[in-house]
Amino acid sequence: MERALIRPIVIMGAMYAFLKFVLPNIPGSAEIPASLIILYLLLTLSGIIIFETLSAESKEAFWGPLQRFLTGDNIGRLQPLRYGILVLFPVLVGWQTYHATVPSDRPPAENRVIHPAPPGEYTGLANPVPKTPENIMQGKGFYAAFCSPCHGANFDGKGPAARGYNPPPANFADPTTIAMLQESYLFWRIKKGGVGLPIEGMPWKSAMPRWELELPDEWIWKIIMGEYDGAHQAPRTWE
Amino acid sequence: MKPETVTKWLIRLGSTVALLAVLTGGAVDGVAQESGVVRAALVTGALPVDDPNATMWNNAAPTVFPMSPQVHWPERIQQVTVQDLTVRALHDGTQLAVLLEYEDPTEDPDDAAAIEFMVGDKKAHFAHGQPMLLVEGGPVNIWYWKSRDNKGVDLWAKGFGTLRPHEHQDVKAKGEYANGKWKVVFSRSLVTDHPDEDAQIMPGQFINIAFAVWDGRKDDAGQVIEKGSQKAVSSWWYFRAEPPPDYSGYVYAGVAAVLALGFQFVLIRKLKEGQSA
Repeated sequence: MERALIRPIVIMGAMYAFLKFVLPNIPGSAEIPASLIILYLLLTLSGIIIFETLSAESKEAFWGPLQRFLTGDNIGRLQPLRYGILVLFPVLVGWQTYHATVPSDRPPAENRVIHPAPPGEYTGLANPVPKTPENIMQGKGFYAAFCSPCHGANFDGKGPAARGYNPPPANFADPTTIAMLQESYLFWRIKKGGVGLPIEGMPWKSAMPRWELELPDEWIWKIIMGEYDGAHQAPRTWE
Repeated sequence: MKPETVTKWLIRLGSTVALLAVLTGGAVDGVAQESGVVRAALVTGALPVDDPNATMWNNAAPTVFPMSPQVHWPERIQQVTVQDLTVRALHDGTQLAVLLEYEDPTEDPDDAAAIEFMVGDKKAHFAHGQPMLLVEGGPVNIWYWKSRDNKGVDLWAKGFGTLRPHEHQDVKAKGEYANGKWKVVFSRSLVTDHPDEDAQIMPGQFINIAFAVWDGRKDDAGQVIEKGSQKAVSSWWYFRAEPPPDYSGYVYAGVAAVLALGFQFVLIRKLKEGQSA
């Protein structure tokens, strides 16, 4: 095959390899989505076509071999490859169409928001209970009695009652749970429980009790203290 | 053939290939995890509604669901006997049969099991469809079986304290105990005349399903340990009665392949005309 055709193929291949294998490994970078890779490759292809068609000679050098390949005009040993491509293209189109039109047999995707926004009255509330060792200790006692069956004695979400619940009980030792939240957020979640979640939190799936029906507010504030202390986390504050 | 025409053709070709590639990429990203789904296999012949040991159950893939002690509302329970529930389902286009299997070391008259479905389009909380504070929920339909009576009870609930049997009892159930294991078959027609009270099962459609099990063993004082809200429960999972095979995808694929072939044919003919000109 002529050089004018090999060069674009090599450039496209190199570009793909760079985007797929090199770029994600550069520190601070990340995996690139398939759709973005396709976009970059299309831009590269457009660049190649513009470059190759700048002059009449380069245009002929670029399109000529392509045209001869497709028409099978004096291509000699490439003839089997040409037939291969001519067969493969309709097969690929058919295969793609099948996958695009076949009805899904997967359950509906569930995009549950783990920490939805709380109602206005539960933002920025300060814990009214003084942070004394006694109160923290008492909070841990309440936690052991009411929360640990699901959230675990080690605050890791792995209590003996947790296994069947989906979504799983929150793991407070995980830095992406209570460490990211303010105390008033926890107050809201404990008070209203699973049934108090907004629709994006999928309240119908949560087993979290609505503790306001069973525990006084003061106990809930103490539990929050005990939870942070036991999980070795600090509440998020307004800096 | 003019180079401009070739360029136009190639751009079209390129965009088709790119579109296909994007579609492929999207399809790969969208694959969901297959867990927590009961698929009722479509079979022909009478369903084994009275026989938990029928060989026909081998046609249905089993799904295992983890169970938890019910802790959502009082009376709670901290420990339950049944840790896992294996579920299989079959349907014949009109009837549905669901087989629950679980280990229970003792056979007791108060042993019981239940299946729960949402009714209608509104989401219902898995705890008896209890009211949610910010979302308007719907009711649930519960199919209940108890060892003592060894029959199905068709129930309805929308919140705590609202559980009541239907006036119309459409559910059948039969349990058999052997080798430390309960096998219970529930059966009902896929659709009923009471869409406001019963779950309606349309083949191909995913609906929510949940389970509950009571070990009716008694403690030393003669009290049944697991009763009422003190039971093993599952969360909401998915259920689907498998639809009959749909071959339309092959037809669309065939049409698309023929179109692509025609496109190639026209392209090459145009190119050849250009060469000879």
